Amino acid sequence: MKLRKFLKTVPMKLYLILLAVVLFSFFSNDFGLVDIQKTAIILAAGIDKTEEGFSLTSQIAVPKGSDRAQGGTSSVNITTQGETVSDCVTALFGKTGWVPKLVFCDLIVLGEEAAKEDVISYLNYFLRNEYMPDNCLLAVCEGTAEKLITSTSAIDDASSLAIEKLFSDAAEKSGKVMTNTLKDFAIDYYDVGKSSYLPYVKMSPQKGASPGGDSGGSGSAGGSGSGGSGGSESEEQIYTAEETALFAEGKMVGKLPAEQTLALSLLEGNVFAGTFPAKEQGKPVTLTVVRNSGGVSLDMKGAPTAKLTVDVTCRLCCRGTTAPIEDISSDAVSPEILEDAKKVLQGYIEGLWNTCKETKCDVLELKRKLYRSSLKKYEEWEEFLLTSVRPDISADVKSMK
Amino acid sequence: MNKISERQIYFFLACIAPVGKLIVMPARLAGYCGNDLWLPALFQFAVQALAVFCVLLLAKRKESLYGLLSDGVGKFVAKIVVLLVGAFLLFAGILPLLEQKLFVQGVFYDTLPSLLSFAPFFLFLAYLCSKPLASYGRVFDLLAPIAIVGLAGVLLFSVGNADYGAILPVGASGARGLLKGTAYSFAWFYDSALLLMMLGKFDYKKGMAWKGAVCYLAGGAAVVFFLVVFYGIFGGTAVNQFFAFTKTSKYFSGFTVLGRVDYLFIFLLSLAAAFYTALPVSGAIESIIQAFGQKKYLPTLLSVLFSAGYFLLTYLLDFRFGDVMRAIAEQAFYLFPAFALLLPPLLLLIRRRKHETA
Repeated sequence: MKLRKFLKTVPMKLYLILLAVVLFSFFSNDFGLVDIQKTAIILAAGIDKTEEGFSLTSQIAVPKGSDRAQGGTSSVNITTQGETVSDCVTALFGKTGWVPKLVFCDLIVLGEEAAKEDVISYLNYFLRNEYMPDNCLLAVCEGTAEKLITSTSAIDDASSLAIEKLFSDAAEKSGKVMTNTLKDFAIDYYDVGKSSYLPYVKMSPQKGASPGGDSGGSGSAGGSGSGGSGGSESEEQIYTAEETALFAEGKMVGKLPAEQTLALSLLEGNVFAGTFPAKEQGKPVTLTVVRNSGGVSLDMKGAPTAKLTVDVTCRLCCRGTTAPIEDISSDAVSPEILEDAKKVLQGYIEGLWNTCKETKCDVLELKRKLYRSSLKKYEEWEEFLLTSVRPDISADVKSMK
Repeated sequence: MNKISERQIYFFLACIAPVGKLIVMPARLAGYCGNDLWLPALFQFAVQALAVFCVLLLAKRKESLYGLLSDGVGKFVAKIVVLLVGAFLLFAGILPLLEQKLFVQGVFYDTLPSLLSFAPFFLFLAYLCSKPLASYGRVFDLLAPIAIVGLAGVLLFSVGNADYGAILPVGASGARGLLKGTAYSFAWFYDSALLLMMLGKFDYKKGMAWKGAVCYLAGGAAVVFFLVVFYGIFGGTAVNQFFAFTKTSKYFSGFTVLGRVDYLFIFLLSLAAAFYTALPVSGAIESIIQAFGQKKYLPTLLSVLFSAGYFLLTYLLDFRFGDVMRAIAEQAFYLFPAFALLLPPLLLLIRRRKHETA
């Protein structure tokens, strides 16, 4: 009786709050703990084309001992083959007994040969996978992805973590790298322009490092797994991604060198604290971008014209010559440097334009702009826009005052 | 008997009803008519608002649906119509139920969990539906701020990542795409039918009809804006993005520092969606009660029966969501406007027999 009396005094609100708490904890899936001994937490995946289909190199995080002297991330690299990427993932489970878990996969690297085919033919696996983050970084690499993923980094325990450092926000703002994600790449692919870009990763041996030397942390558990990764680099490597691979209809059609990568970044208005060179009286100086705006617009009145505009405010960062202290204390840039900087940037943008035209890659999104502004004109110009449009390049460089 | 207040009805229309349209509908609309996905939704909200207006006008007669019908067309026909509405609600409730199931399995688990993981939902369903429909009033009071905060939070983290130009050019999908989008989205718009079952559970207040319609339009405006943001974020890949409200916010750049705090808002919306999923079942039970009279254990019995039936259905249709959705939304779509759009104005035409003879 007492209990019933008590229950009657408890307001309905409390029941509902209790219900909400129960539902919250149920939906949060804290009960579904991950058994790390049975799970392959894939940090990065590398995809290469083989004669039979594909090869997938997975970098898998593994639990480490509790030795506090050894920090960092341990990983093993396993390479599996199959006719589709899904077959490769299944083979990973078959060969190791680990259940592959892609939820922490932050990087997918495409081998150069694989990138020359329509990449959606294998990336569709990741797009279909509800348990894979679609904002994971996407990149192309020189040579095979397997070689890159299984290489020993000079700066981190796991190569994937070292490569991801190249794609940080700071790196992107420097204008030295154009990053892209699986989601944005897919959006571009399925858009009218069918063009996109990915950072192009290269690796080179770290000068002065001893082959097979300690990587500064705990060292990678590394090496190949049951699939046999072969070609694992014992020499410590450093990575760069200053070049940008261009894609049209899902296939890699060309590369932008570092200067044109910077030009693309400037056109997108992304750059802050990035640097570029100029000359004063034939001597080198480096300018830092402190403000950048840019854009591409399409003028369809008369002959189609693409207006490529870059506005940069910069300060003097460094001279390649000795300078008096008064000069060092000043950020101002002389008119001569500004004029040269303008020419430099115009040259970069011209180079970018020419590369895009040669490769028929609409990375400047001209088709998208026309489609969105006028469906009728888009249908009229769809086939010829990229070949007939003329550039109108304008670079304005100002000095910080 | 407890009554649902005027405020609680507005809360349902403005805050709870929109939540059911944020899970699978955005991706399906993107599939049917691409960047024009917001246009069919706008149309649906507009016509539903008219139907809601009609239902709220019916509330002036202070009768339940059965009472209204029996006065006008006789008890036998009234029974049939009310039971048909109940059957329709049970049928309409299948889609949100399966959406809810897939949503929980797809979003809150990182690998496909077993069906049993979703089983506790049916206990919740059985409990909630055993309560009188009028008890939803308090639920609406509690859920309204939860839904508002949930949607506002999700939108807050999403609006900055959208490319709003993606919805251009307007009308790109053509008349065929727009018609398809409109016809096949009826399956998510039957709030006026839910409201029909609440007739007699609330009293009409002055101006309630237009205020209710405006509330519904306000909720609709939030959904339409969400659809624009959704397409702005995913563009041509939007068709692949089921569980829309859990997807748009995750690209917020601050999460690298904050962590996925957007999950708090997603949980809030999930909570509101769970109650919304139960409403058709409660409506169906109410229809049987109206037709056969209130019996002591009838609501509990029906609630357990329907929840068990739904559980069985989810078990049988575990991997056939696509087929079910096509069957409900694409093949049987005409049922929805018949009950949710045509019935309310038709009911307005019914006059009491007594009045006619007098």
